[in-house]
Amino acid sequence: MNVFVTKGEGRGNLVFRALLKGLMEKDVVKVALVCAEDPTGNSFVHVLTGDTSVVESSWPVPPVMPVQGARVVSKITRKGPVELPTAVVLRPCELRAMRELVKLNQVKLDGLLTISFDCPGVYPLQQYLSGDRSFMKASIDEAFGHFDLSGTRPLCQICHRFTGELADVEVGFLGAPDEGHYLIGHTRRGEEALKALGYQEEVDLERRVDAVQEVIKQRIEAREGYFKGEFGPKVVGVEALLTTLHVCINCHNCMRVCPICFCRECFFDSDALKVLPGNYLVRAERKGALRFLPDTLLFHLGRMNHMSTSCVSCGTCEDACPNDVPVSRLFAMVADKTQAIFDYEPGQDLDRPIPFIDYQDEELHDYEEPYIESTTHRPSSS
Amino acid sequence: MGGNGFIPKILYALCAWCGTGGSETAAALWLKYPENVRPFRVVCTGALDPAYVLRALIEGADGMVVSGCHPGDCHYNLGNFRARRRLAVMKEVLNTLGLDGDRLWLRWVAHGEGKRLVDTAFEFDAHIRGKGPNPLVKRWDT
Repeated sequence: MNVFVTKGEGRGNLVFRALLKGLMEKDVVKVALVCAEDPTGNSFVHVLTGDTSVVESSWPVPPVMPVQGARVVSKITRKGPVELPTAVVLRPCELRAMRELVKLNQVKLDGLLTISFDCPGVYPLQQYLSGDRSFMKASIDEAFGHFDLSGTRPLCQICHRFTGELADVEVGFLGAPDEGHYLIGHTRRGEEALKALGYQEEVDLERRVDAVQEVIKQRIEAREGYFKGEFGPKVVGVEALLTTLHVCINCHNCMRVCPICFCRECFFDSDALKVLPGNYLVRAERKGALRFLPDTLLFHLGRMNHMSTSCVSCGTCEDACPNDVPVSRLFAMVADKTQAIFDYEPGQDLDRPIPFIDYQDEELHDYEEPYIESTTHRPSSS
Repeated sequence: MGGNGFIPKILYALCAWCGTGGSETAAALWLKYPENVRPFRVVCTGALDPAYVLRALIEGADGMVVSGCHPGDCHYNLGNFRARRRLAVMKEVLNTLGLDGDRLWLRWVAHGEGKRLVDTAFEFDAHIRGKGPNPLVKRWDT
């Protein structure tokens, strides 16, 4: 693939504002989908705008992720592709979720110019809403290019898919000299956009590739160490898992904010789980007592079975949890294993179908019980 | 069989074509399977949603075994291929969380394989007796 690279000035949100404004002024795109601070300064929202002045005051990379960008793109394009060329700034996890939704027919990519970047992570939403917001805003802007930002969400700190290499245009900070950044066109659409902005110069990316690999290596080690050593022992096993889920109030927020959970009606909200009082009594008798609201473990395990192969570890579920259940870490830990079965990376390859609709004739024999015909005489019923 | 009077509750999910067919063949051969194994007919192993299996394991079953047509023989062409993928994920989820994915077995049984069906029922029964009761069943806080 022909990589078109240029070296630019500056870091932080101003890079994205300038990039978007340039794309709109050169008519590469007519519309931008970008995050902006709400007028009260409390949080951030996605806005769809064709106005460059809105883009100029936007926050393309906010310090929090209140709504998963993939959900926003899905909301806009589910019924059909965008009618005007639109630039979208997405975090790497949002981009992977969006590409997963393309496979699930929930997003149409046509007309979108995706822009992604080396993501420094985000702060937990609750912490942002109740904490020192100006400090967090400033530290995100300064964090581009290095990966030691403290206080970000636990899942962000062990994220090893933090680059925007799947976007049409990647803004790369890692390895860029002199506080600059790289603009990398990964697709034809991306390259043409950069050419329209007047960038011609091809730069050697070797320095960046090495720097990215170094951080990926550290993050993978940290991830394995965290799930195995620190987090795992706290949640693995019947006792530990149920203790972790004791504080769950069964509100299903985690499912509602999940970009992958697109089903119009979730099985766990359906009539299948609404039963007559007698059924609860039987279950209470069997168990000695029955917890209400019921089916908490069923909900979490069921969801892991239904969607963990597509989980992008974005952490939105944990941000939405009112009771601090470490949902996203539970899901990420399980997802790492279930995705490994199929060697599947959600959002990576658009041509690869999701594991549940694909199959091989010969596979997964380790999960089948081998049969050795017994010669023991069984009692016959005669 | 097994000490201290533990009789496991076992569900045997059988697809409507091969699994249940296997049980018919077993009946024709006058073969007997353990009385604590309860057959559970699903139209295809591919129609066995993880939620059913989890429901069983949380609400009362000590183990669940799934049998359907051999790969390539599915009445609906690819149901059992999908079932195999689902089962693999189910076992991996349970194992990762320390909930013992080995209480769930997948073994193909064709229509004519009555003995194989009965052998599987006995073998799985012994396997679960060896493991003891499923700890989730008696937890009220699930």
